[in-house]
Amino acid sequence: MKVEKRKFKGGYRFKNFDGQITDKIDAIDIPERVVIPLKQGFGNEVPFISKIGYTVQAGQIIGRDDTSVSSPVHATANGVVEKVVTIEVFGCEVQAVVIKSNGTKTWRVLDGATENWEELPTDKIEEILYLSGVTALDKEGIPTKFNSSVITPSDVENIIVHAVGSEVFNLSLSVLLGGERVHNFVEGLKILHKVMPNAKVHLAIGNNEKEWLTTFSKILDGIDWLRLYALEPKYPQGYDEVLIPTILKREFPHGYCSANIGATVLSVQAVLHVYDAVVEGKPLIERIIGFGGAGFKENVHAKVRIGTSLDFILKNRIKDDLEVRYILNSALTGDTITNLSYPLDKSYRMLLALHEDRKRYFIPFMNPGFNRDSYSRTFLSYITTKRAETNVHGEERPHVSCGFCEEVCPVRIIPHLIYSHVERGFIEDRLIDFGIYKCIDCNLCNYVCVSKIPIAQYIKEGKDKLIEEGLEPPLPDYDMKGVEEYLSIREKPVQAKDEEDETS
Amino acid sequence: MKPVRKLLDYIYSIKLLKPFHPVIDAVDAAFFSPSELTEVKPHILDNIDLKRYMFAVIIALMPSTIAAVVFYGWYVLAMIVVSYAAGGIVEVIFALIRKKHIEEGFFVTGIIFPLVLPPTTPLWIVAVGVAFGVFFGKEVFGGTGRNPFNPALVGRLFITIAFPTIMTTFWRVPFSDAITAATPLSIYKTSHTITPYIDLLLGQCGGSMGETFRIGIIVGGLFLLFSKVADWKISISYIGSVFVFALIGNALFPMKIAPPVFQILAGGLLYGAFFMATDPVTSPFTKAGKWIFGIACGLLTVLIRSFSGYVEGVMFSIVIMNAFTPILDHLVLSIKYRR
Ligand code: SF4
Repeated sequence: MKVEKRKFKGGYRFKNFDGQITDKIDAIDIPERVVIPLKQGFGNEVPFISKIGYTVQAGQIIGRDDTSVSSPVHATANGVVEKVVTIEVFGCEVQAVVIKSNGTKTWRVLDGATENWEELPTDKIEEILYLSGVTALDKEGIPTKFNSSVITPSDVENIIVHAVGSEVFNLSLSVLLGGERVHNFVEGLKILHKVMPNAKVHLAIGNNEKEWLTTFSKILDGIDWLRLYALEPKYPQGYDEVLIPTILKREFPHGYCSANIGATVLSVQAVLHVYDAVVEGKPLIERIIGFGGAGFKENVHAKVRIGTSLDFILKNRIKDDLEVRYILNSALTGDTITNLSYPLDKSYRMLLALHEDRKRYFIPFMNPGFNRDSYSRTFLSYITTKRAETNVHGEERPHVSCGFCEEVCPVRIIPHLIYSHVERGFIEDRLIDFGIYKCIDCNLCNYVCVSKIPIAQYIKEGKDKLIEEGLEPPLPDYDMKGVEEYLSIREKPVQAKDEEDETS
Repeated sequence: MKPVRKLLDYIYSIKLLKPFHPVIDAVDAAFFSPSELTEVKPHILDNIDLKRYMFAVIIALMPSTIAAVVFYGWYVLAMIVVSYAAGGIVEVIFALIRKKHIEEGFFVTGIIFPLVLPPTTPLWIVAVGVAFGVFFGKEVFGGTGRNPFNPALVGRLFITIAFPTIMTTFWRVPFSDAITAATPLSIYKTSHTITPYIDLLLGQCGGSMGETFRIGIIVGGLFLLFSKVADWKISISYIGSVFVFALIGNALFPMKIAPPVFQILAGGLLYGAFFMATDPVTSPFTKAGKWIFGIACGLLTVLIRSFSGYVEGVMFSIVIMNAFTPILDHLVLSIKYRR
């Protein structure tokens, strides 16, 4: 199969940071108790449908609501339902079911799953997918007849599966796809194509993964509904907003989501879960996550049951003498994990532990900087391993128009121009002309800023204020699908801000 | 580094010095990186800061500076020290008045400025010039980042206008003590003789002390472009347009306009194109603006050199275009984002 090479303008390649995740994978035991949030991944919170005191099996549905945009939630350990509690996760309150596990590792197999899935009617496959909980994965879920996304399967014109490791830390393809798994993955793609027959499937691999590209171009040969791409692993290539223009060569509906233009963007793990559900009958009860950053004794992958507390997962894995910051999924955009009692849910890909480096280095501006990353080429670290830690590396200074933020911005707006307007309090239409709503909050402009100005924060503030003034993102002039559903489920930026005000 | 740390901590502990904390903070911050951690996303930040950004310019100026010392002796260093001291004092006074941090801008001004002076400039004139430049070129507008003009250029223009003899008669040929009024450009203007290119490249001719060793300027300039500290669009379009306009002009008016390669190698063009026109604060930030800025600088330089009473036009062109920078950006933006 032909490999198409594509890239986008802007962005930044994060390369050679310390604490990269190695190809090793650990299995983590089932903890004594799992805590299962009733809202996980994409979709609304679902009501609890089991009873306290009931004995449940791993893979049994304990939360479900077919009327709202949501997917079912499963017990992830065999045991007894102890209680339903309200927990706080990243500032949101959510109901969670506590199950006392009996320690056994079996799970309840999904009804109807079979190796000969090709013979199943599409309806049945959709049902299995929905009942497996897989449909809540990734940014907008996988569409089925059961309201698992904001659109239906027949609305989907493009499925984009991306395996581009463009973040500072990335899961290893060899771990996810090693051995038989690559064939399972291809089978998963075929299942998705059967469910969404109108869709072209696009598989994007980083052009640094030469071997995987050859493998795929071999095993995918002859599939006419599929196309294979080699993308440059620049951050933020993995964002829907960047994947869609690079692959589909069309504009992203900024302010809305990829589902609204009939595209479903999925990760490698989601496709594997699709295979597991439909062929092996395995509901979504565990995830593979990676441990990135120099705070870990060993940077490995781990297979973990959903609902396991982070405490339990991280036990004995962190270097003892180091002050670290825990971050979910991404060093650029991930939330700080302040409470290690949070349970792991479907949306976790990665746990990062970065060194909180408070050390004051001597005459830093004259340091040759062998281990220091910079977008500018003023540090001698072009090929060496660089440190990923949380120091600010400099004082905030006046804006000097160095232009770095404009060069890296993946959506080709001029971040510092918007910043200087917002900073001076000019909240007006002009900001929309400047493309403020195109900003995808990738935070790259903050990263490169020479004067250490939190540009992306100002842009976010500008967006919030515009919405407060009633200047919403303009509706694109082409037809979109599922817009109302999307708006009803999208968190409103203004509300989020109010919450912050109350707590602070 | 330990003794430095101890000394600083001791100075901090003296109550009497409290009003001078901005100064001490600046020294502290120059010697030690901050201990603060990121509070908002992203969790990790680029290692560059304004100090390093400015320091890259100083590194890029090293070949020229060293060449100047070799050519003209230790007096060059004295000029640089005086320039730093005088500029620094103005900077400190303003930081104290504004109760703000000391800004790194004069790191660069302090060295860029003396390098554009003749090697025999009296020290007091260096001091007056840099103080004038920092004060009127920068501080009155609100400090680094808000200045419309490059402070070093303002200082140099001030000297050109206030002490015209210095800029016209105080040149020296390297390794000789003779003071002459002749620079390659003035020689061309009076007698149409072209100084050999190899002499221009190696700096064997009269000129400002940092401008003559052109190989060093090219090396330093390329480093700046490579390190991304200076934007290549401005340097390239400036030098390129001088070439093109001189080529056309020389064909049309061979008696007035010097040939292109000579124009590029003579005078302060390379220095200006790499180190002064590229100052991000005073040049346009829009891409189209940068191209127009560079091309206009080139055109003005050729015109001033050929048709005005001055032999050199680099400084004037850059200052004039600095003044047009906000308008250029405004025009480009209103075209790019028209409704
Ligand atoms: S955060 Fe927004 S403005 Fe900044 S680089 Fe990313 S997309 Fe561009």
